[in-house]
Formats: sequence, structure tokens, C-alpha cells
Amino acid sequence: MAYVATRGGERAIEQSERLFREVMGAIDATRVAEIRAAMPYLIDRVVGEASLYDEDLAALALAQTGGELYEAVLLLRAWRTTQPRLGVAAPVEQSDLFTHRRISAAFKDIPGGQVLGPTLDYSHRVLETDVLAGTPFYPPKVDPADTPAPAYQPSVSAWQAANDLVDLPEPDTTKGEAIPDVTREPLLFPSKRAHTLQSLARAETGSVLALGYAAMRGYGQAHPTVNELRLAEAEVMVMHPSGTVFSAGRVKVSQAEVVSKQGETLGLGFAATFGWNEVKCIAAATLDLNAKGAPKGSATEEEFFLYHTEGVEASGFCIHFKLPHYVTFQSSLDAMRDAKAQKLKEPAE
Amino acid sequence: MTLTLDGPRIVKTAPLVQLRGVNKSYGSVVALCDVSATVYPGEVLGIVGESGSGKSTLLRMMNLEETPDAGSYTLDLPDLDGNLFDLDRFARRMLCATRIGIVYQNPHLGLLMKNSSSGNVAERLLVAGERRFAVLREKARAALAASEFPLERLDAPPIELSGGMQQRVQLAKAIALEPALLLLDEPTTGLDVSVQALVLDTLKRLQRDRHITMVIVSHDLGVIRTLADRVMVMRRGAVVEAGLADQIFQDPQHPYTQQLVHAKL
Amino acid sequence: MSLASLTKPWAPMSYGFLDASAKRELRRKMIKAVCVPGCQMPYASREVPMARGWGTGGLQVSLTLIHPQMRVKVIDQGADDSVNAASIRRFLARVSGAPVTLDTLEADLIQSRHRIPEEILREDQVLVLQVPNPEPLRSVQPNMSIARQMHGDADYGRMWLQLYEQIVRSGRVMQGASYPSMVNGRHVMTPSPIPRWDVPKLHMARHLTILSAGREKRIFAVPPYTRVEPLVFDDVPYRVEDHGGLTCYRSGTKGFFMNEIPQGDGSSAYEVSDSAFGVKAIRTREGKGIEMGETWYKDGAMTQ
Repeated sequence: MAYVATRGGERAIEQSERLFREVMGAIDATRVAEIRAAMPYLIDRVVGEASLYDEDLAALALAQTGGELYEAVLLLRAWRTTQPRLGVAAPVEQSDLFTHRRISAAFKDIPGGQVLGPTLDYSHRVLETDVLAGTPFYPPKVDPADTPAPAYQPSVSAWQAANDLVDLPEPDTTKGEAIPDVTREPLLFPSKRAHTLQSLARAETGSVLALGYAAMRGYGQAHPTVNELRLAEAEVMVMHPSGTVFSAGRVKVSQAEVVSKQGETLGLGFAATFGWNEVKCIAAATLDLNAKGAPKGSATEEEFFLYHTEGVEASGFCIHFKLPHYVTFQSSLDAMRDAKAQKLKEPAE
Repeated sequence: MTLTLDGPRIVKTAPLVQLRGVNKSYGSVVALCDVSATVYPGEVLGIVGESGSGKSTLLRMMNLEETPDAGSYTLDLPDLDGNLFDLDRFARRMLCATRIGIVYQNPHLGLLMKNSSSGNVAERLLVAGERRFAVLREKARAALAASEFPLERLDAPPIELSGGMQQRVQLAKAIALEPALLLLDEPTTGLDVSVQALVLDTLKRLQRDRHITMVIVSHDLGVIRTLADRVMVMRRGAVVEAGLADQIFQDPQHPYTQQLVHAKL
Repeated sequence: MSLASLTKPWAPMSYGFLDASAKRELRRKMIKAVCVPGCQMPYASREVPMARGWGTGGLQVSLTLIHPQMRVKVIDQGADDSVNAASIRRFLARVSGAPVTLDTLEADLIQSRHRIPEEILREDQVLVLQVPNPEPLRSVQPNMSIARQMHGDADYGRMWLQLYEQIVRSGRVMQGASYPSMVNGRHVMTPSPIPRWDVPKLHMARHLTILSAGREKRIFAVPPYTRVEPLVFDDVPYRVEDHGGLTCYRSGTKGFFMNEIPQGDGSSAYEVSDSAFGVKAIRTREGKGIEMGETWYKDGAMTQ
């Protein structure tokens, strides 16, 4: 069968989809719940890249796509397109973040303390193969601390600003519908700050890591120190048209602030996202740090890294090369053949 | 005190270029202080000074790459009126592209290093609206020939050429449209001494054959001496002395000029 | 107080999939595009249930224009039954209830990837072209913002230079598909990766053409009766692909853009790329009295 030429095209694509789905079998609510319970960090990555906070939908997307991450995120983003916009929640201040984990590499200790929170950072990366042999792994119980870590933490940069070490950006007081929304307006450069932060929030983790890694290794000018890394929950405060303000619930957020010496002050880079995704936040904040003063047209300027960390676009374009391109190919062949023929003619003339 | 270039003139023609009261500061740094200059058609004005004198800034302004804080710039050409610093972006770009030619000290600024040499010249003609391939080819060839560029390298990209040849490509590009004004910013600085002499010869010949009005900026008095009819000496953004070349070299008035001239001799 | 009180009863999707805000954005940018022919208008492109790079831009335009009576044709490389065209056609029908057709003459809306059909389109028809890269200056300037300024300045010298260099190096313009073209005498656009054969069909056409890039988020348009002139030197004429003398081995039609099908013995067979046109030709030969429209090309040459 020619890839395109037969009328069987419609039947073929229907069967190809069935072949894909066959492996996953029936998808029911139980499976979705199991995924949600078993894979919280995968869920977090997906809600972040989808820029849609709904853990059940994320688990469903993963179930439906069999874990094909790019397909799962596309499902959620496409879903997001269909949902009506009800309103814009109130901004969340740093001091109002319910903080589970907060560390700083800049100082040995900080006001509020170094709260390790949940992490594998200090674990030994050993596969528990006994599980496959029949012995389940039961995680040891957590020993609660004598005094609980404070749930709300002041930011490290506030202390630095008070000590004249850093110039914090002017707080942006824009509210509600007036906040620029990168999903409702085209992204143009130089980019609005809101658009940059939103784009980084929904950026694809692997590509952010790749470009961030390049910047860290020296392709960027600034070498990052993690001023603060936080895993927290933010309260979503919504105002009803009647005037009542209420909480629509809490969402998990992660954020990183990185700094580097820039002359006599510290330069700052920042990134935040839905869900807990440390690698993405640190790498994205590093890209942000290096963006100031990056030469126009270079690989460290915003226009470069924001374009190329858009996973849905990148993966889609990548796989589009599988589509038939024989018309453009024919056009190129025509020009090549004619040019060759001209060259062969010339010596005879 | 400001000095202008309105010295005695043998032939009674109207000036082609007039700059009046050009001022420019970058923050607290004064780059140009009340600079005025006049250039008559077909003559060469040499602007000499050390680095930091403002001479290159002035040249960039004559090429409309930058606008001053105050001052006027006029060209006596048939369809041009008024202060060129007031032109809108589009008019400025068109004027620059078609009536003014420039040769930079650094060929990377003036050339597309990976396009062909003939292509570099053709681009000028294309921007001016030439749409006949044969004419592009011919005019590019002619301009390169006039710049004494070896025609067997016609289609070589500048990146593969020597410094002297790159300057010749810049020159060809600058004269391809027969500009009213040709600006040269340290055109031979950085080249081998022997190559410098050859390029200067080419400039002299061109000037003599085509009566191109030129403004040439250099820190090198020898270069100025070879080419200029008039000389303007600049120091720290201001014009220190100006006059006919012979006068300046034989009988400099200002102590700074004297220093320059005698140091050279 | 709950979130539910802020909205209406939940539905899985709006008519035509896109919600009101998306349609408004698309409509406004389409109007802007028509007002400045050939000029790229940035728009907030939405994600739709299809991978980016697979025609989401064209799809968003079609979804915005579509209504339940609109007859829709979808082709890819000229073929209706291409796997991707089939998928898009199915989706459009599913979310709008609009009738679909394979016949160019019957369609109100034609969404196409990389081809313009051979039968002349009328004033009441809209052609939507899928665009992978909307920026004709990309090969001389990869940065979109700088390129945008170049369009504003009508700074096309580098584009012309590229064509000059091709002639110097290879003896002819080597540009294959996506031939850069001046629209309405002011903006240079890429006509999308249609072959050179198809570009002359856009010049002073009766129909409206909308070109949309979903991934790159740009829309541009060629209004009816607008000049579209491929960038050519006055003394080096525009050359379409050398298909004027070819015959389709399946339908017998002559002098239309063909697909080259390599044969086992090293030779090539040719079949007409506009497959619905080819089918109509076969049916006509069989005496089934199908209406074949006027074509832009006659005897292998453009008639305008």
C-alpha cells in the first residue's frame, strides 16, 4: 500500500489507532486512581507541562496514552483549550506558601531553617529487586521532629535585599484579567515578564534541562548558586462576582531562585511551575539568570530558549517529519535535475 | 570658540555637505561638542584625531546610523530638503542605501562575509531596486574592477580573502551606486603597510577619475595627507582646527595640531 | 459558594471545538491579515487534538470558519485520502456536523497541506493552507523578531541576494517549493510549501486564501484579486516544475502536477497529484458524465 495513494487511508488510520490502544487494554477509573496514587511525581511533571492543575485528568491522560508523555501533555493542553475561563485567582505571596521543603545553597543556615522535606537527594539509588521476587517494599515510618518546621518561610532574597546584596525587582501589582496571558496572546520579543515566567512554567522538562545544563557548563555567562528551592502548596483564592472571596483548594507548586555575582550585586533568576519538579525549576531559573544581556540572536537569549523548550510544539514538529513530503521533494528534484542538465550542456556549447 | 570649514574657495560652488552644531552625549560623556563642517562637491575632507576624539561618531552620524542630541545635517541634492537628522526611519534607510557609501575599518561590519564578493556589491543594487540579473552582474563586476579587485575572485566570499581585498570589496559596494558622498572610517588601519599604500592609491585614482566627494577619518596623518583637500582636527569631541590641507600641514595654528604634525614629521 | 456557581453545565467541548475566546482571536487576526495582504499576524494559537506541526494552524482557521452547512474538503499533497487529511476531515466533521466532500467544485472550504487543486476556485470558496514555517526570511535570518523588523522596513535585499547567489552558483534559481512571493507589492510571504507550479494560481485569484501556522503562531492572507508575484529577476523568468509534458498513467490526464512513482526497473511512472481530479478524469473516460471544472493550466501551461 502506498503511504497515501489508496482510498483505504481512513480504514488504515483507524486500525493503526486500535493497534496502539490494544496494548493498554480497558481503561477504567480504578486504573486512573492507581496511577494517581503510584506516580505522584510523574503526575506533577505532566500538570506542570500541561499548565493545567488536575491530578485526576493527568492520571487519565497517562492511562490513555500508556505513559507516552508528549501525547499525555497534548491531551491535557487540548482539553484546556475547550474549558471556559472562569476568572483569575489572587496572587500568592511567598510568605503565604505552605512550605514542605525549602533549602538554600547560598548559606549554611537561614531564617526558618533548611527544611529538607521529601527528597531522594541523600538516598542510595539501589533497585529493590526483592519486590519482583515477592517481597513487597514497605517504606519505614517517618519519625516526626520534636518541633515541627515552620510551615511558612520568609524568602532568603528578602534578607539579601535588606543587606544591600541584591536589587529585587519592583513588585508587579497588576491584577486579574490585566495580567498578560501567554495562552491568550501571541508571544513576541522582547517578551513581557509575565509571558516569560508562564512559558518557563509550562516548559518541557528535558529541553529546559538540556539548555540549562549548557548554560551551567559555561555556554552561559552566569554560574548559578541556588538561593532558594521550594516545594510548597499555594491556596487558590477566587472572587465570586458577588464579592465573596473563597478558596478553590490548594495546588502544589515548586520554585527556584538562583543567583550569581554580577559586578557588585547579585543577579537573580527565577522559575516556578505547577507540581513538584526540582530539575525543571533550577534549570529554568538558570536560563532566566543568563537571559539578561544575552546577545541578540544567541542561544542564551529568551527568544532562543523560550521557543525551543515548548515541548508540545517541539515534539509535534519533530514527528511531523513522518508526514508525506513528496510534493516538496519533487519540486527540489526538479530544480536539481535541471541544474545538472545545464551543467552537462555547457561544455558542448 | 567653534571653527568651521568656510575657508577661501577658488571655485564658486555650493557646498554639498553641511553639518551645523552637532552635539552628542552618552550619559555624562560628551562625544561631540558643537561640531560643524562643510564639504564641497568633489573634494576630500580628512578628519584626524586620536581615539576618543569623536571622529568615528561623527562619521556614523553622517551615515545616519545615529542621531545627535542637537544639530543639523544637509546634503545639497536635487530631491533632498531640510535636516536629514529629522528624516523618518524609512527615508533614512533609503538615503543611506542609495546616496551614501561607507567603508568601515572592520570589514565584518560592512560585508556579508559568507556571501560572494559580487553578491555583496549586488545587494546594494538590489536594495536600490535593480531587478535585472545581467545588469547586477555587470555593475558588480565594474565596481570591483574600479576598486582594483582581482576579477578572478569575483564570486569568492570575503571570508576567504585577505584584508586588503576585503576593503576593496567594501569600496566596490560603496561606489556601485555612484553615491553623492563616500565615507571612510580608518579604511586602511590594520592592513599591512604595503597593502595600505596600494589601497590608498586606489582611493586616489577613484577620487581623481570620478570626483567623488569623500570624508575620510583616520588617526594616521600620512593617510590624511595623501588624500585630503581639507583637514579637520578633532580632540575630545570638539573641532580644534580646520582648513585647507596644505595650510594645516605647513602652518598649524593650534598647539594640539602642531603636536600632531610635528610628531609625524 | 463553589466554583460550580460560576459557570454553566459542563460540556466536553464547544461547537467546532474552539471556545469563544479562541474563535474571537482567530477572527480578529484573520481580518487583520486580509487588511494587510501577505503580512504575518501573530496570534495566540491554541492546542487542538492534533500534534503541532500536523496542521493545527489550518485546523484552527477551519474550525473558526466552519458551520453546519459548510462543505469541507481536506487534502494533503493533493490527495483526499492521505492519512493525515483523512484524520483532519474526520475531526472537522465530528466537531461541527458539517458535510464533507472530495470534489473541489463542491467545496466551500478547502483545507490543504502543500497543494492548490487544479480546478479554478471561485469567489465563494476559501482555501486554507497549512504552513510549517511562515517566515520567508528564515534562511537569511533565523531570529523571528529581527525578521519581523525587516518586513516592517521592506528590507528584502538579503532575500533577493540569496536568489542571485543561486543563479551564480548553479545557473538557475534553486528554490524548490515555498517560493518567496511579493504580495500586493509590499510584503514578501512564503506561499507555504506548495510547488512552484501552484504559486501562479494565487495571483489575482478569485478566491480568498488564508495561510496559518499553528506552531509558529502566525496567520497571513491573500485576499481575492490581489497580486502575488514570485521574486524573479526581470531577465531570468520564473520556472515551474517541468511537468507540462507528463501524462498520468492511471487517468490519462496530461499537463498537470504529477507524483513521481519510482518503478522496479529504474524508470518512473507519473500520476496526477490532485487525486480527486484524477478520479474525475477516470470517471469521465468511463462515460459517467462527471463535471470537470475549468483548470488554471491548459495543455501543460498556465493560462493567465
